[in-house]
Amino acid sequence: MRKTDDIIDSLVGELKPVPRHALARRFAAGVLPALAVSLVLMLATLGLRIDMAEALMLPVFWIKSAYNALLAIAAFLAAYHLARPDGSRGRFFQFAAAIVATMAVVAAIQLTISPAETYRTLIVGSSALHCPLLIFLFALPVFAGNVWVLRHGAPTDLRLTGFIAGIAAGAAGAWVYSWFCTENGMPFVLIWYSLGILMTGILGSLLGPRLLRW
Amino acid sequence: MTSTHSEEALKALMLLSLDGDEAAYRRLLNAVRVLLVGYYSRRMAAATKADMEDLVQETLLALHSRRETYDRERPFTAWFFSIARYKLIDHHRGRGSRMMAETELGEDFESEYSEAAVTARMDVERLLEGLPAKQRELIRQVKLEGQSVADTASRTGQSESAVKVGIHRGLKALAEKLRGGK
Repeated sequence: MRKTDDIIDSLVGELKPVPRHALARRFAAGVLPALAVSLVLMLATLGLRIDMAEALMLPVFWIKSAYNALLAIAAFLAAYHLARPDGSRGRFFQFAAAIVATMAVVAAIQLTISPAETYRTLIVGSSALHCPLLIFLFALPVFAGNVWVLRHGAPTDLRLTGFIAGIAAGAAGAWVYSWFCTENGMPFVLIWYSLGILMTGILGSLLGPRLLRW
Repeated sequence: MTSTHSEEALKALMLLSLDGDEAAYRRLLNAVRVLLVGYYSRRMAAATKADMEDLVQETLLALHSRRETYDRERPFTAWFFSIARYKLIDHHRGRGSRMMAETELGEDFESEYSEAAVTARMDVERLLEGLPAKQRELIRQVKLEGQSVADTASRTGQSESAVKVGIHRGLKALAEKLRGGK
């Protein structure tokens, strides 16, 4: 019993005040630099899309950007809650499903108003093969940032937390990639972007139980 | 739960500790240690004493290193017992006996310190505050702690029928309070 008293003594001796919103600060400190690394990496290796000036005028460009950004925000918020031992995923899966479903509606509308000969471009485009892989790569810095944050946290469902942290990183990576990608097809985004995001999510669910244990 | 181990008391200590109050932190750790010994001994039938002491220490260390994950707006005991529960499962998992952890952690154990259960208990406590001390104590012992009428009667030095009548009156008063909205 003596030893526990010693531990309590040393813990009391080590006590430092914890600022309010310490966990939110930790998230900002881990995720924002990682996102910056990812952006710089994209700019250095790929660069902005060649038709950037015109793209900024296109609703499809902003819809693509918003799709990724909204998924990332929903997943980051869920990961923030799951970093607490008594936290839950909240309505993450409902939000994510609603975002994807909205994108599916947008994709269907685009297909109905477009001539049939453009379908191939809108669905497969010219980058379907490497798009999910590049998204996965640009997601990795953010994923590492998430893992750093969560290792300081106290998640109790490690697989789920890993999965959602992966989805957050994947969607952030997809958002970064969308500044380079010249595809304007909404079905393309729905299929291939989501695939890249999902791949990062699966990576997270596989690594979560090992990396996030505390 | 005695009063030093109540949600309100522990939460107050935790809030002081987060602001760096060492005396409050020492009291918190000592109180929580007692809770942990009770919590783990109820769930680890076959555990050796050294094993349990290890787990208590590990949980205290976890509370310390993870204290930034405590949300000041939420109940302390729900947060704290989530850590204790995680450490228990992790402990069993480490020994390759996951099944044991899962069977031992029955629903009633898990829900005992859930946020909903804690807030419900706080509501009940608040309601009980409005009753005469004698009735409050009887209801707490028999209805909340689940002790028998006979035991309570002999402990409080009353007859069994007096205990029953006291509880009945207390519950009736509570019901009226709820119906009348205070």
